[in-house]
Amino acid sequence: MMGLEMEIKQASAEMLKFANDPFNSNMLGGRSHIALASGCELFLKYITRCFLELPDFNECIEQIIIRGQRFSNISIAAKERIASTGTAFIQPGATVMTHGWSSVVSSLLIQAAKDTHFEIIILEGRPDASGAKAAAHVYAKAGIPTTVVLDSAMAHVMERVDMVIVGAEGVVENGGIINKIGTYAMAIAAKELGKPFYVAAESFKFARLYPLNQSDLPPMGKGMEEHLNFVDTACWISTGGAYGAPCEESSALTMEDDIHVPGLVTLPKEVKVENSLCDYTPAKYITLLFTDLGVLTPSAVSDELIRLYQ
Amino acid sequence: MTQEGQKSKPPPPLTTEGKGKGTAKAATTKAADEKASQKKEKKAPPAGLVIPPKKPKLSKAERRKIQEEQRAAKGLKGDGTLASQKKGVDKQHADMKAAGSRTNNGNGVTSSDDKNKTLNFFSHLPPYKGHSTTKKELSGVSLGKSKNKTSTLHPAVLSLGLQFTTGTIRGANARAKAMLRTFKIAIQDYTPIQSKRQDVRDDLHQNLLKPVFNYFSNTCRTHSVTMGNAFTFLKKFVLDTEREIQLENLKDITCDAIDSYIEERICFADKAISEYACTKIVNGDVILTYAKSEVVEKLLQDAYRKEKKQFRVILVDSRPLLEGREMLEVLIKAGIECSYIFLNSVSYVMKEVTKVFLGAAALMSDGSVLSRVGTASVALMAQSNNVPVLFCCETHKISNRVQLESVTNNELGNSDDLISTQCALDRTGGTGFLKEDCSKNEVLKHWREVPSLRLLNLLYDLTPSTFVSGIVTEMGILPPTSVAVLLREMNPQDNESTSFKSADILC
Repeated sequence: MMGLEMEIKQASAEMLKFANDPFNSNMLGGRSHIALASGCELFLKYITRCFLELPDFNECIEQIIIRGQRFSNISIAAKERIASTGTAFIQPGATVMTHGWSSVVSSLLIQAAKDTHFEIIILEGRPDASGAKAAAHVYAKAGIPTTVVLDSAMAHVMERVDMVIVGAEGVVENGGIINKIGTYAMAIAAKELGKPFYVAAESFKFARLYPLNQSDLPPMGKGMEEHLNFVDTACWISTGGAYGAPCEESSALTMEDDIHVPGLVTLPKEVKVENSLCDYTPAKYITLLFTDLGVLTPSAVSDELIRLYQ
Repeated sequence: MTQEGQKSKPPPPLTTEGKGKGTAKAATTKAADEKASQKKEKKAPPAGLVIPPKKPKLSKAERRKIQEEQRAAKGLKGDGTLASQKKGVDKQHADMKAAGSRTNNGNGVTSSDDKNKTLNFFSHLPPYKGHSTTKKELSGVSLGKSKNKTSTLHPAVLSLGLQFTTGTIRGANARAKAMLRTFKIAIQDYTPIQSKRQDVRDDLHQNLLKPVFNYFSNTCRTHSVTMGNAFTFLKKFVLDTEREIQLENLKDITCDAIDSYIEERICFADKAISEYACTKIVNGDVILTYAKSEVVEKLLQDAYRKEKKQFRVILVDSRPLLEGREMLEVLIKAGIECSYIFLNSVSYVMKEVTKVFLGAAALMSDGSVLSRVGTASVALMAQSNNVPVLFCCETHKISNRVQLESVTNNELGNSDDLISTQCALDRTGGTGFLKEDCSKNEVLKHWREVPSLRLLNLLYDLTPSTFVSGIVTEMGILPPTSVAVLLREMNPQDNESTSFKSADILC
């Protein structure tokens, strides 16, 4: 029994290591591995609980497989539960702001669109343009009126908004969340302007982390750090000669391997680029969390965590 | 009897109230009674509160009146403390405590009063007992009749009591550990005097546990939350053993239980806390800590030695106890780079601090933390500079009380500690030595004679939960809102009843 547990633990460790590897960061779609880690831990805890009850090995194996199936079913069904609880919070005629691509949030909004009429403002979501893509492919198809704005315009449009809903990569012990970069700024602006800030997340994303500040986050996605493109959308070449001034070849700063992309701002080697994937939003900015365990306040997250990890 | 009853209104306040409170008697008997029952009174008069003079219960009041007259005849009292402005919320509790201290101090009433002249606002707090609890009391040799039971207490108990009173043993953990170890000794040496009760457990409880704890708490120094929790555990353990147990057996298992309590709830908890806290320390950190805390000491040493993290420590200290110096010694010996400042410079250094680790005396169930006075200031300063504040606190410090501010429940220290105010300005011309009798000191030296001067030396203060970023316990790092959850999880037997238990679960 212990041997089996060891093996399962090793398997999950392997999977995490694989996901963490910079070369494979694309597998996670540019997101962090926190949900994966917490999901694995919870899964382990859930299935190994039966070790104590069943002494017989084969019975145990059967139980583990059954519980494993059940766990995955719960996780899949979680999205529907969250969608049905969250739709009640969207009033007709509301303007909802969201950020990044989250399947939970999108299922929530699409479900709500069936009952209510509301509109969405979504941020562009650099560097992976997840917001623009989501708007184009998902929300428009669902027939929800959508507006895409620049990330920097977030505070400017915040006064028009009635509520903010985001997903989460991980929910931490004090009720705060780790999510795509830009969420923290959105939460601060929402709090300042008095707009409710909701988070939709499944319970397997509850992680045993306790970040004290932004620098206290677990390291994630090392490979993405320096990879950022800065496009000058108003330059001579990219506007076809309409704006800007023609640049001379000799003064142009070229990249290391002499590839010069028109309209692309290339930086000299001394200039550092920082591209963090995620930021940490403390619990005081979050109004409520929609989870498959129900609608929770941030302080209840710790309560649930203590119970889940008993 | 009835004549006297009708003659006097319900027990008159003592004669020396210059505040004119006595004249308000006519208004309501209840109000008059409340004012009358001050610290100087024998007991809280619940019966006398609402009953007008004609009822037979006046005999108690009558007795009280006689006692007051005797006491008034005995000597003078200071005027400050007798004023009956009780702002304290838990008056009954304070009265009982005060009464307890008075019954044990036979003839020490007037002198203690004089020595502890303090603010009216804090007159509900139990006074500092270091002056009046004389060595005669504690030596166990009392000449003449004494109503107290010190002569029947184990010498180890008496010596620990003295250590508590003089402040040789300080700190929540230290006091609880010392108390438990002394209980072990006392239990092992215990022989039942007269076994009127057949029940050994009850006997042990009534004749040993309760008197010793009351002695510690009422005569020596108000007990800490940790001592209270340890005593509750011990009492429960003894009373829950099986009925037919033999005394020897009971002694053995009780001593084992005490050992395991110390081992698990204190020593092991400290190790676990140190581990969790070390994960939060990164290289290059500047860590601030205040006064002395065993847990913080341990975790800093572990982080430096075992985990080999590179950080430096700023140690904040404050008068009059200057406990930080002991911690400084330990940290320097461990080789950690330290800075030492007083509390007045905290706002200046806070800009370079990355984390604050603090110790606690008790943890309230809403997440606020009771700790050495000055801690709240440090936490406030840190919070306004966005520096995370972590309190390191074992679970045995959790009290199911909720305290809203530092006034209703606190402890008064020795006012004389505030007198010595040697400062740099007192240095004589060329020698650099401090002047012996600095004229600036005169007023403070003779503060008792100055009627308009009172000194206040508080020992604890309360840090509200909004200043707490996280609490490190042996269960992990928790947000302050989860302390109530911990309490619930740790006491599952208390959850079986559906009714809410009121505050008579004392810790």
